[in-house]
Amino acid sequence: MSESDYDSSFIAEALPAFVSEAREHLQSLEQLLLELESRPGDRDLLDALFRSAHTIKGSAGIFGIDDVVAFTHHVEALLEQLRSGRKELTPDLSTLLLKCSDQIHLLIDAAQTQQPDTANARAIREEFVRQLRAAYEVEGMTAEPHADASRDVAAESIAGADAHWHIDVRFGPDLLRNGMDPLSILTYLATLGQLSDVACNSTDIPDLDTIDPESCYLACRFGLTTDASRERIEGAFSFVRDECVVRIEAVSPPAGLGNAPPAAESVTAAGTAASNDREVAEKNREGQIKAPAADDSRYIRVQAERLDHVINVVGELVIASAGAALLARESKHRRLIESTQLIDDLVDEIRGGALQLRMVPIGDTFARFRRTVRDTAAKLGKEINLEVSGGDTELDKSVVEHIVDPLMHLVRNALDHGIETPAQRVAAGKLPAGTLSLGACHDSGSIVIRIVDDGRGIDREKVLQRARERGLVSSDSSLTDAQTVNLIFEPGFSTAEYVTDLSGRGVGMDVVRQNIESLRGTVVVSSTPGKGSCIEIRLPLTLAIIDGFLVSIGSAKFILPLVNVIEVVETERLPDLSYESGRMVTQVRGQLLPVVDLRTLYELDSLPAERMSLVVLQAGALRFGVMVDTLLGQHQTVIKPLARIFSGLRGISGSTILGNGDVALIFDVAALSERATKTSSKRSSLSREIS
Amino acid sequence: MSASYSLPSELTIYAANAVRTTFQEWVRQLPKGRRAKARPDKPLVVDAANVMEIDAAGLQLLIALARSVAVKKHRLELSQPSQTLRNACTTFGLVAVLLQGAEDVP
Repeated sequence: MSESDYDSSFIAEALPAFVSEAREHLQSLEQLLLELESRPGDRDLLDALFRSAHTIKGSAGIFGIDDVVAFTHHVEALLEQLRSGRKELTPDLSTLLLKCSDQIHLLIDAAQTQQPDTANARAIREEFVRQLRAAYEVEGMTAEPHADASRDVAAESIAGADAHWHIDVRFGPDLLRNGMDPLSILTYLATLGQLSDVACNSTDIPDLDTIDPESCYLACRFGLTTDASRERIEGAFSFVRDECVVRIEAVSPPAGLGNAPPAAESVTAAGTAASNDREVAEKNREGQIKAPAADDSRYIRVQAERLDHVINVVGELVIASAGAALLARESKHRRLIESTQLIDDLVDEIRGGALQLRMVPIGDTFARFRRTVRDTAAKLGKEINLEVSGGDTELDKSVVEHIVDPLMHLVRNALDHGIETPAQRVAAGKLPAGTLSLGACHDSGSIVIRIVDDGRGIDREKVLQRARERGLVSSDSSLTDAQTVNLIFEPGFSTAEYVTDLSGRGVGMDVVRQNIESLRGTVVVSSTPGKGSCIEIRLPLTLAIIDGFLVSIGSAKFILPLVNVIEVVETERLPDLSYESGRMVTQVRGQLLPVVDLRTLYELDSLPAERMSLVVLQAGALRFGVMVDTLLGQHQTVIKPLARIFSGLRGISGSTILGNGDVALIFDVAALSERATKTSSKRSSLSREIS
Repeated sequence: MSASYSLPSELTIYAANAVRTTFQEWVRQLPKGRRAKARPDKPLVVDAANVMEIDAAGLQLLIALARSVAVKKHRLELSQPSQTLRNACTTFGLVAVLLQGAEDVP
């Protein structure tokens, strides 16, 4: 391969990695800008902001993506001004920077898809560049000391005068492993001027038997006489800042420099007036707070397909292990049984670990909404406070990917229809700013996401009227309040008088519900007129492998998800089953419990066993029972989805293969609970629903 | 009675683990105090002329070597240090610790 062939194939292979990392940097850039809106002077955030842009520009340079380099250069120049305190981050600048980050996004998309630039796009960028330059070129360097006295601006703004600095640095333990070299940092600083009195902590280095050759134990103190600005000195540490504790102080020149030029005197004044301490947060194993955009070197990037492959294989392993355990039991070979039991335990652990790999905190998704809320609120002329809670709650990666769009739509909906304009709110006796809260938590095997607003609530009359118009309900049917309000999820439903580009097209809410249900989740809305609404989404935590409880009815075997199983009661101990308003009920510890007779439901033709058991299940807030013949114990269940032909089957969420090769169907507990609480005179069996 | 030891040409993080093992072997070979009436100042002379590449990991290992040697009541002497090694020690303020007593190369 010729050199240029090699280059271009390298670029082609590495480009996806660049694109994905650049997008991550852009995302963190956006997050930082939003955070800075509430903490505009925060030095660490501004530094991290600059570094994000700087990294994007640098990487783009390696790949020869000149458009990105050229545009980001101007963004970087403005960010440099912000982080050195020469310019303040105003809301207008913040908006400008957000829009510029969108432009960089577009440029990276274009680089990925190899789209050629258009004159229109170029013109838009030029306008942004013009605005950026107007912002960063206007004031430039000034000799005025800032109001914030803790900055020795005087030292920086005087060009060409030697200043003396005292630098104290403790290098982080992982520095060497991460490819950095303290020696080259000091060597570089020496090129800026003159190092003096270098003292290194040699007494802290352990002996040969104790030392970890790849860990860094070094710290040193030294003086530096240089005409370089503070920025350049700090620049030497820019790649290691998050892992080291660095202190850079401007000090008066050592005696013996003779005639100090006037510039040095002002350095002294500034230096003594506010000896500038800059401590960078040290990253150590105790996990102290660090700059938000800092990359955590404890993470590894993994391709999603590889992870999925591993999980699939783990699933097969679970089944194979169960098969082996069964054969072992049949062989009655004690040591073989023990051995397969051990394998089973280990497989259980791997399963748990593998599934954990796919879990991501929902906080990342919520963070994306900040921008949406900000922009949408501005567009609609509304004031919104966004509160986020439960960001640590984890859910499966693939669930996250599918839930983003529905959540986005629900959030936009709440902003558009739910929350009133400030004037309307004040007239209604509320605070002018509305509150939208996004929350997540775990609840018995599911993740619950709530979107709550304190807006005007859902107008029941309007909803009923529109539903009648659309033929969704007959004019004489009576619905409960909850049922009325949830009509908004019916297809074709929309009470918006006009279609905004945000919502109101009537294709939104039913698609949202479909998406959520395709993830085996549920969505329910509740609302108080005048006070607000709450949308509650429930999603299963994992899609692939669950802990199951194996039962049999006649010769058929079923799995009940263990998270939903509360207890098992022998029917002999129960009062006779009775019928109440069409439902079969029993009593457990004095509480009435609706019961589903699975035999009748699934038209299983076998005689009831003499001793049946009642398994008490819980789905959400509902408790109910199912009658089964035999309890077969706990079973690691690899969920095999049902074929499309069975997609209309309610009550069954999948199937699995048992150790002996039999198929067991997995119950959808939520659907069964609806069956249990349905009051109907005709108890139709589920099997009729398929035809 | 010193066997001849010399520093490898590469004293960097890439060779760090191997170098540490080598250094440990040298230390193991040092005669113990009880047998050879070791004087506290007896130098372990190590030829340092071959050092071509060095980084902070290498410097750390040299310090650790000096320490381990001192525990055995010897003193590490790096003889004829290469320019690369000299520069690194100067930059990092380790001349007194590592190069004291080294012959001055013109």
